[in-house]
Amino acid sequence: MFDAPVHKKRIVSLTPLIDVVFLLLIFFMLASSFLQTQSIAVLTPAPNPEEVETDRHVVEVWIMNDGSFRLDGDPVTPDMLADGIRRNLGGDPEAVVSILAEKQAAVQPLISAMEAARNAGAQSIGTSRVEALR
Amino acid sequence: MIEFDEARPRRPYESVVPLINVVFLLLVFFLLAGTLQPTDDIDVDLPVGQVDDKRASEDVILYVEADGFVYLGETVMSADLAPYMLRKFLDEKGVFDVSIKADEKAPAHELIKLMEGLRNVGVREVNLVTEQSE
Repeated sequence: MFDAPVHKKRIVSLTPLIDVVFLLLIFFMLASSFLQTQSIAVLTPAPNPEEVETDRHVVEVWIMNDGSFRLDGDPVTPDMLADGIRRNLGGDPEAVVSILAEKQAAVQPLISAMEAARNAGAQSIGTSRVEALR
Repeated sequence: MIEFDEARPRRPYESVVPLINVVFLLLVFFLLAGTLQPTDDIDVDLPVGQVDDKRASEDVILYVEADGFVYLGETVMSADLAPYMLRKFLDEKGVFDVSIKADEKAPAHELIKLMEGLRNVGVREVNLVTEQSE
């Protein structure tokens, strides 16, 4: 009796899909971070001098105000620091590396010194602060 | 007799399929390559380093700003007093695993003071977070 209604086959619109995908794209672009971080474990320094053992062989690294390093009093370049510490440790497993930072020194040289001491194979690393070295 | 051209076919719309392909590709890239992590409220330039102890905990993160102030969440503290303000917090949470994100230009003295104070409240080891150097 009635003709079946003629359905025109329509293509599903892609526009809402693209909207959502763009939204997700922008979200992940803004929210994700590519910064790779890592961490170095450091023993906290003892505030009381009594806790520090004094009978061990000590290698001193000084961090001067301008960020340069001195190893047992001698100026040393950052590249040579690890080698110098290893040499001064002389393979003594009991030896202590003591890092002394001057008043104006920044964190970056302090971390570099800690890593150099680590790479040199030091078993115990101490940090302390001094007002000024000589 | 003059022959008229038949109506020229309408110019087809530019296909959106290649666009969607590219956008999907970007979406998948950011999904896989990026890592989602809570963004830091405090903007610190991390020092660079190579040593990775892979023990970074996200339990307690202290920030040391370039001017030497210490942040925990939204609390600002001076490096001298921070550990004592933290004592209660640390006791409640029962964590002795503390990460420090120090700005590379922060004074090393403040970082060492903070670590000395943390030793006083029972934290024997801290993780200093660094950025991977090339």
